[in-house]
Amino acid sequence: MTPDGETAARNVVVFVRRLRAEGFSVSPQTTGYIVDAATIVGMDNMGDFRAACQAVVVTKHDQIEPFNELFDEFFSGSYVVSLDSVIDRVVQRTDSGGRARIGVAATDVPPEVDETEEVYEVGGGSYGERLMDVDFSELDEDEAAAVAAMLDAMIWSPTSVRSRRWRPSARGTVPDLRRTMRLVTGPKGDLIPLAFTQRKQKQRPLIVLADISGSMERYSEMLLHFIHGAQHRFHGVESFVFATRLTRITRQLRRRNPTEAIASAAKAVSDWSGGTRIGEAIAAYNSQWSRRVGGGGPIVLIISDGWDTGDPDYLALEMRRLGRTAHRVIWLNPLAGRAGFAPEARGMAAALPHVDDLLAGGTARNLADLIDLLQSAGRRGRSAAAQ
Amino acid sequence: MSLPSTVDELEAAFVANGYVPERSLSVAIHLAVQMGKPLFVEGEPGVGKTEIAKVLASITGGDLIRLQCYEGLDASHALYEWDYARQMLAIRLLEASGQGVDVHDIMSEEYLIARPLLQAIRRASEGKPTVLLIDELDRADEEFEAYLLELLSDFQITIPEVGTVRAEVPPIVVITSNRTREIHDAVKRRCIYHWIDYPTVEREVAILHKKAPETSDALSRELASAMHKLRNLDLFKAPGVAETVDWAKALQVLGEVELSPEAIDATLGVIVKYEEDIQTVRTAGVESLL
Repeated sequence: MTPDGETAARNVVVFVRRLRAEGFSVSPQTTGYIVDAATIVGMDNMGDFRAACQAVVVTKHDQIEPFNELFDEFFSGSYVVSLDSVIDRVVQRTDSGGRARIGVAATDVPPEVDETEEVYEVGGGSYGERLMDVDFSELDEDEAAAVAAMLDAMIWSPTSVRSRRWRPSARGTVPDLRRTMRLVTGPKGDLIPLAFTQRKQKQRPLIVLADISGSMERYSEMLLHFIHGAQHRFHGVESFVFATRLTRITRQLRRRNPTEAIASAAKAVSDWSGGTRIGEAIAAYNSQWSRRVGGGGPIVLIISDGWDTGDPDYLALEMRRLGRTAHRVIWLNPLAGRAGFAPEARGMAAALPHVDDLLAGGTARNLADLIDLLQSAGRRGRSAAAQ
Repeated sequence: MSLPSTVDELEAAFVANGYVPERSLSVAIHLAVQMGKPLFVEGEPGVGKTEIAKVLASITGGDLIRLQCYEGLDASHALYEWDYARQMLAIRLLEASGQGVDVHDIMSEEYLIARPLLQAIRRASEGKPTVLLIDELDRADEEFEAYLLELLSDFQITIPEVGTVRAEVPPIVVITSNRTREIHDAVKRRCIYHWIDYPTVEREVAILHKKAPETSDALSRELASAMHKLRNLDLFKAPGVAETVDWAKALQVLGEVELSPEAIDATLGVIVKYEEDIQTVRTAGVESLL
């Protein structure tokens, strides 16, 4: 089957609509590339044609499978035969002046987000001060809302590492010959003023792995507010949650409004409040994500109560691997602030030797302290692990 | 040599040069070459990403110009740099001989050091076949991608003091990434994207025939299937095709003609390079690879 050029072009146009509806970003330029690719490779061999389309449309490894499924479904014969009627409708709609949205309904168009930022009074008075120290599990509904608001508004200022890139600097110590030469040829040429550079500062990335299993239920929402705040005030944060499996929620938390962001993250997670397999979750991070998002010596923040149903030896092994790629591993345990706490939960005990800091995370005050620590985490050595 | 005009010809040319590509890779390379767009290849280390550029250079008979990326890579190492020492000397000489210094004397091509990107554009602008390899782009930082964006869309470089170099026929560009971080979509969108997976057992055997021709057919099969099993173990760092070829050569050196548990044990360090991975393999038992 060799469709004539016009039919092929029409097929491509409808296929692109289908792709967009499924969340692929396909620019009009890319549409042109698909037509070019089809012309170069031909449509005689469907396998080649598919590979060609894939090569111009896909930009990430994990898009390959969905793309191929869509392609096969679309070009598997029956669909193509009935195309003309679809095209006619597209053409009609376009002619009538409106933007054509045919073939497939545009799904999931996000509602307009109200971007007005509410201003909260943070810690302004004894009420706020008191709430700072209340364990999340003991808050009533109104208090929880107030604490969530405080967490949303916490101030983050990043810790930085020295980048390998240079920037001009009057106080630097390394001469910048390129700029010097420019200056020499300028009006003050005979003085040869030296220009200097120094290393740029770059922010250390932060990776958050939060436990949302059943035992953490009363803390999860507050902690998600906290993570959302981290992601918006701290550049380079990657967020994951886990119970029995690891889910990346960085993208969902990118929404500005905390409530909507957390709702959208919740939808992405399939194992809310299930059992806990910390070892498997960390293994998934190590094998699938660490090399992709864990460059540049990240600080890894694990938030969990350490109640684990998995194999403690496995957890210890994966923690050791994690420690090797991270600049610093901080474990935030909501229970750690309670009187009489000892890190005895199976998972906690297994992980402890590989943790740089074990911190309490049950109250807003704890989290504020954590932010302070993160700001200095580039410099301080091991501390709480020795507790 | 001229470029192959169909996917089949291109595939044959690659095989003739000792590279056994999967079909979808051949299609992607063919498209990149025909459409004049960069080829962006991602995949685990050791699956033959860099090799693509080398083979392309040898097929086209062109030069391979390589830009190895690293953290902190900037314009002065990727595009061009002035030869300051010689400029200073020239100024001294001109002054000593009593002549005035003219800016144009010391800011001319003569004092320019061309780095890989400029070299590639220059050669292409002279009409010579050129393959530009931008290796491990994920190691460079994001600022560098901005430079690339401009270069990849216009294939021209402007040096304020000298002028603009422009390649009418763009060089063949191959960009590789080990995916230690995501490259910005804006760069990828300008490219033909391909993900190289670990080869199937049959293809790995074919690769061994090309890369280690001394290895017998039977041994090649054993090696390829052992590798396949090894990659299914939960290793911290799974071995690539490069390791398979090294392994075949190592066994050759030791005079082994078949894969025995003792032979695997003796050569484990060639294919698995983390202490804990070696433990994992030993725990699973080297016999399980046979």
